[in-house]
Amino acid sequence: MHHANHFYGHAHVLAEYCGLDAEHPPRIDGYVQHGWNVVDGLGIGTPYMPGRPIFVWSEQTRRRAWSMGRRQATVIGAPFLYLLRFAPPPPEPVTRAGTIWYPFHGWESQRVKGSHGRLVDEIMATETGPVTFCLYWNEYRNDRVRAEYEQAGRVVCHGYRGFQFRDTDTRFLHNQLGELRRHVRVASNRLSSAVLYGVAAGCEPAVYGDPMHLEREDLATAERIRRQWPELHGRHPESEPARRSALAELGDGYLASPAELRAMLGWTPDRLAAERVAVPA
Amino acid sequence: MIRLIGGEMPGWREDRPPAGGALYGYLADQLPAGTSVLVAGPHEHALIESLAARTAVTCLVRSQPEADELAASGLDVLCGTLAKLTDADRWDVVVALDGLGRLCSVEGPQYDWAECLRALKRALRPGGTLLLAVENELGVHRLVDPAVATAAQTDDAWRPMGEFDDSKPGTPGRLAEALVSEGLAVDWLGAAWPFPGSPTMIATPGALRDGPVDALGAAVAGAVASSYEKRNALSDPRRLAAAAVRGGLGPELAAAWLVIAHLAPRPAVALQLPPVLIGDGPLARTLPPGRLLEELLLAACLRHDLPTARRLLSGWLAALPDVAPGNVVVDGETYTKLDPSVPPRADVLRGFATTLLTGGYAHPWPAATDLRTLTAILHGAAGLPGDVPAIPPGEDPPVPDTRREHEEQVRTLRRLLAEADARAQQYERDLAKRDAELTKARVQIAAFGGTFGYRVAKLGYGVARKARNRLKKRA
Repeated sequence: MHHANHFYGHAHVLAEYCGLDAEHPPRIDGYVQHGWNVVDGLGIGTPYMPGRPIFVWSEQTRRRAWSMGRRQATVIGAPFLYLLRFAPPPPEPVTRAGTIWYPFHGWESQRVKGSHGRLVDEIMATETGPVTFCLYWNEYRNDRVRAEYEQAGRVVCHGYRGFQFRDTDTRFLHNQLGELRRHVRVASNRLSSAVLYGVAAGCEPAVYGDPMHLEREDLATAERIRRQWPELHGRHPESEPARRSALAELGDGYLASPAELRAMLGWTPDRLAAERVAVPA
Repeated sequence: MIRLIGGEMPGWREDRPPAGGALYGYLADQLPAGTSVLVAGPHEHALIESLAARTAVTCLVRSQPEADELAASGLDVLCGTLAKLTDADRWDVVVALDGLGRLCSVEGPQYDWAECLRALKRALRPGGTLLLAVENELGVHRLVDPAVATAAQTDDAWRPMGEFDDSKPGTPGRLAEALVSEGLAVDWLGAAWPFPGSPTMIATPGALRDGPVDALGAAVAGAVASSYEKRNALSDPRRLAAAAVRGGLGPELAAAWLVIAHLAPRPAVALQLPPVLIGDGPLARTLPPGRLLEELLLAACLRHDLPTARRLLSGWLAALPDVAPGNVVVDGETYTKLDPSVPPRADVLRGFATTLLTGGYAHPWPAATDLRTLTAILHGAAGLPGDVPAIPPGEDPPVPDTRREHEEQVRTLRRLLAEADARAQQYERDLAKRDAELTKARVQIAAFGGTFGYRVAKLGYGVARKARNRLKKRA
């Protein structure tokens, strides 16, 4: 329905889980939450078609969406958790080392403001093992920013999120899972999807360092996040509460069976036959 | 033999059915042989005849044609109005399972409830026993009744008092007090469902208090369900009755109370009655423990507790795939059929989807507003293999047809229509935008992909337009 359903290859992951064509996922009858957020699960500026479901990650997000007038929010859990259900296990022997660090990122409409250099210094003073910096494509493509991180460690990018069904890196989440599984810790200067995914992939989480900020950012929301999830913030948060909280945000325990998910997303055999025209990747 | 006592109604018949049914029949059968019994008010022939086969029975009715019929079958009949009973008319037992509302005819004084009770008490010999049913004006059957009792238009409703008869007790406790104030000691009291005239479940307040309360709630819901199949109601009486029992208000909101009381000095007839009667007699089997599956599923749906909803759906369809959720009780992981006599159904998931949709219950799949999609989702949530192929066959379950659900359906349809309208407008805007893009793209394709002559002409036209604009600007 909306091109954000294809961001990070979410639709592709869900199609593969449902036993359908992962290269050309069928049209989803609603909006899949494409990243962790503290509103109704919809991305900023998504034109919402009334009556269509928002497929949110967690029950808490559903409640919040309801309170914001979104009556059709439906909990399915994060697509990343579905990937974990069918992704092949990491190659043996499993070796994890160091930290994968996700600096707070900007996007097409909002650049991130702050000193990357000072953040790198703070990270290197905290982390004891090797650090992999994972930059969002927005910063990765910026040679000056990338160079600041390259001076301190290995720099990777999981791929391009995609836009208007074009250039989507449909293996984005696969790449991310592969990287997360190579690290002991996952960290960021803001609580974000990546930190939650890291927990699901078996990393110890941490959220610390200069939080930086976006152009025209509503900083009250960032403060609210720190107040609501203190267990996930800090250089070394206590493991078990952090893990419980992160998995709840991803909707762990709420994942649907392939048959239930197919029916929810509008992927029933007759609908698929009627659609025929595949949505481009 | 018939005796006209005065106030009889010639050429007139009761236009509502008499009290009866299997449970009243069972109660009457408990009366010992060899006593004299007055059956006061309209009762089913089967009940009267069964009683008359064992003991001496006199009937009191106000309709003369009905009195004639009773007499024709060999019974002793008094025809007339209650006020005409004399002190010479005394019995060991008075049976008034129809209540006290149809004892006075149009002629003569119109007794209220307490006056009727006094008249019946006078008809008892010392130590005599009264078997009485009292309709609860706040019973579940009345709370969900779309009709107004005080506006009844039947031929017997020449003075429809409903809840305005202040002499009528409103709780089991006040009923017992009223009997005591008439010198009657209460031997046994039971709360009855679903209707005063023909209950199919009776339980004593003690049984309802001591439980198993969930199982009794399920049994009451079942008793109400079978009587309200496709029947009009204001709201779903199953939920109301079961919630009342679970909430400790079962006796207070039951449809009627049944009471056995005796006059001093001692009961001539000592009746031994069980604490719970279901169907046609005492509860022969132990009620399976646990809570009604349908209520557990609805609660899980209302809480949006998907893990629990899925666990219940899977457990149910693995254990009892052809029993509707209103007839299954769940105790931990054990699923038991509540009423074994109900025939199997093949479309139980479709039935539950219908309950969710027509009942207006909030559930975790709110965008599934059509029966087919919701059934397919439930099928998947229950872990059943494959997709639901087509519109699943079956009939809607025979559930109460309630006004509240109609209201909810109208509200839902209005919302769906408004949403569809908003979407159509959005699609039209999108289409207009796409059309504009397509037109532009076609021009570009024609310009770059057309014949040489076309491209030259197009180029020339562009140059000429620019030249003209420049000239205009200079001018």
